[in-house]
Order: sequence, then C-alpha cells, then structure tokens
Amino acid sequence: MELASERFLLDGIVAAQEFYHSRKWTDGLPVVPPTAEAVEKCLEWAMLPPDHLVGIEPVRARRITAEKLAINSVMAGCLPMHFPVVVTAFTAMLREPFLLHGATASTGGCAILIVVNGPIRQELGMDGTFNALGSSDRATTTIGRAVRLALYNLLDVRPGDVDRSTLGHPGKISYCLAEDEENSPWLPLAEERDIPQHASAVTVMSAGAPRQLMNEWTTEPEQILDTFCAEIKASMRHYSIYPGNYAIVVPPQLRTHFTNAGWSKADIRQYVFENAKIYRREWADCGKGAVVGSRGDTEYQALSEPDDLLVIAAGGPAGGFGAVIPPWFGPKSKACTVAIGACVDCEIQ
Amino acid sequence: MSIEVLDPTYGGGANAFALAGRLASLEGKTVGIISNGKRGTRPFFASLEKYLKQAGAARVVWHTKANYSAPAEASITADVKNWDAAFVGIGD
Repeated sequence: MELASERFLLDGIVAAQEFYHSRKWTDGLPVVPPTAEAVEKCLEWAMLPPDHLVGIEPVRARRITAEKLAINSVMAGCLPMHFPVVVTAFTAMLREPFLLHGATASTGGCAILIVVNGPIRQELGMDGTFNALGSSDRATTTIGRAVRLALYNLLDVRPGDVDRSTLGHPGKISYCLAEDEENSPWLPLAEERDIPQHASAVTVMSAGAPRQLMNEWTTEPEQILDTFCAEIKASMRHYSIYPGNYAIVVPPQLRTHFTNAGWSKADIRQYVFENAKIYRREWADCGKGAVVGSRGDTEYQALSEPDDLLVIAAGGPAGGFGAVIPPWFGPKSKACTVAIGACVDCEIQ
Repeated sequence: MSIEVLDPTYGGGANAFALAGRLASLEGKTVGIISNGKRGTRPFFASLEKYLKQAGAARVVWHTKANYSAPAEASITADVKNWDAAFVGIGD
C-alpha cells in the first residue's frame, strides 16, 4: 500500500505531540502519532485504497481521500474498526443538503452530531446508555473527534480560520452517540430514515448544544412531550424561530411511559410537529421586539414536517431526563443518513 | 526512539482559488456587490455604493444571495463576468 502523504521523522512520541500542536494540526488534546502502519491498518479494515475518493467538498472543491481521513482517525485515537464509521460520517457530511461549509464556518457555532445505528454499535462497544451525550465510551469519543480533526486538517475548520464560531460548544470536541436499540421497542433512527433493517448507518446533523430537561412527575406522553416542546419553543424564542431538524433524546425512564401508552416515534413526531410553535410577537418578551415587525401574529412551527424531528432512544436507565438538540440555524442544513458501506468485491464466507 | 509520522492536512493544491487582478482606477468601471442578505449588510453596502460612485464607478450592481450560508446562486455568478470588480464576503 502506497501512501501519498508527506512523512516526518521525529524524535519520539513526546516530540510528535509538540510537532502536531505547533502546526495546529490538533484540537489542543494529545494525538496518537499517525504512523504509516497504523494508517494502513485503518484502510485495510475498511478495504479502501489510500486514494479512494470519499467525496469532494463543494465550496472549496477539496477532494477528501480515505488516506487523509485515516490519518486523522488514528490521531483522534480510533482503532481500525472505528474507521468505517468516520468514512460514512464524512460521506454524509459531504452531501449537498448538509451544507458543510456553511455549517462549519458559521458564527452560529454548531457541531456535527453523529448518530450511529445498527449492529456496528455492538461490534465497536458503543454504549447508548449511561452518559450517552457525554463521551460514553472509546468508540463514540474517538469517532466524533476524528470528524473534528478531519475538518481541522482537510478543510481548515480551525477557530479563527474557516471556523468563525462566536462561541461554539463542547460538542465540537466530539459529538457522537449510539442509539440504544436493545432497550427500545422503537424503530431505530436510521431505519426510520429509509436504511434497511439490520444495516448499520450514520446520521449527521448540524447541531447546537444539547439542552437537558426533566419531567418526573407524569406518565402521560402528551405532558412529557409538552416539556420537550417547551424547550424547543425556548430555542425558537431565544435563538432562531425558523424550522429545521431538531433531535430529541429520550432515555429509558421517559421511554417507558411512551411505550406503555403505545406511542411510536411517529406518534411523538406528530405531536411535536403540531405543538412546537410560537408566534413571532413572543420575541418581544425576550428582548427581540425590534425584529417582530408587522408579522407579530404569524405563527412559526419548529418543524416543517414531522419527519424533521430525529427521535433518538439513548441514556442511562434512571432519571426523568431528556434532551433537545436544536439545529444550527433553521432549514439551512438538512440531516443526512448514510449506510455504512459493504464491499461489493468481498469474498463471501 | 525516533518515529515517522504522516501529514494529516489537505496539502498540495489547497489554493484552488486566486485573487483577481487589481484595478488601477474605478473610473468608468462596473462594480458588483454580492450581499449575503443579512440586515446589517444593507446600510453597509449602501454606504459603499455611494463611495464607489464618488470614486468614479460608472455602475454598481447589487445581488443578494438566497441563502447567506451557501455559495451564490448560478444566476449571480453568471453575472460576474459583466463586472470589472466585485465585493463579496461576510457580514452581519
């Protein structure tokens, strides 16, 4: 296997850390030195040649190759078995509706949320239970970080360079979770988004920071969802009124109440679609009266259609918590789902 | 013990775009403005237009992108060839 990237001979691992930091090739954390051997193992695992074209970033016309993604994945701490998820995440991010350049360059400061579905979660030890949104395990943490490092090094999405975020949020370090499919009767997110049953897949979304909520005082699905809607409406009032992809994360304690009442994810989406809405005049209640204009009585919905809500089963077993993850900015970036590829030339066992 | 590591960056060919040639004067020239559409760009570019005309520009053409986070639409970029200079960029 012939790698095209420039090689540097350094005086040990400590020197390698300083070398990468000094060139702004890392995010402030240490990196695993990307040796040719480690990078080749990633490519071999995914059965991709180094020059395999994952995609072309449309605004800057940059060709994203498997070799460069593998280098950044090794640096982030990924094992070879994690690499196909990184490749798939980037494939999804490069789809035109995702608007990668806008999402990563915006002052709005979103991060790329990566949701993993399917059998690969178990193969990689991805845990969608405890601390699901807070780097719950090695695979989710390193995969999310690999995407961020690849944005740094392949598209110059560094703070103050292409990344013009005013604030950003901690999800920029790593923002990856696996859906807890084993403890949920619901259809997995990817399957709801047209990925075949039992296939593994990645969904990406340009996402703000998660906003945690709590309602332990009811078992009624409508009342639980009113709490989620309140958080969505708060985001519409404080941040952006325009409709887009929202994600909600529903842990087991709240999930139980939905399943006991026979509510599917589709039921949840429909309820939120109908109830997450505000009037433009409400902006005046939170200091934004200057932009209410003549449309005060115009009603805005959080979702253009029910399917714009991503419902994710994840979280630890106890606690009446949930989370709303708002979009970067309205409808500008669309969540994209891509199946993790299978090699069509592979020998069947 | 020494270690050989790889360059993680995009590397060669990164500069796919080049700056256009500079004009010696604005006298009699057509200047295009591509606004991202944000509110703050309107007074800013209105002031810029006045300045450009004072500096001799014969014509100032405005375009506003439909999506301020996305590249300019083809209808806008097609018009660029009719200009001698252009102002593009970000603005809130």
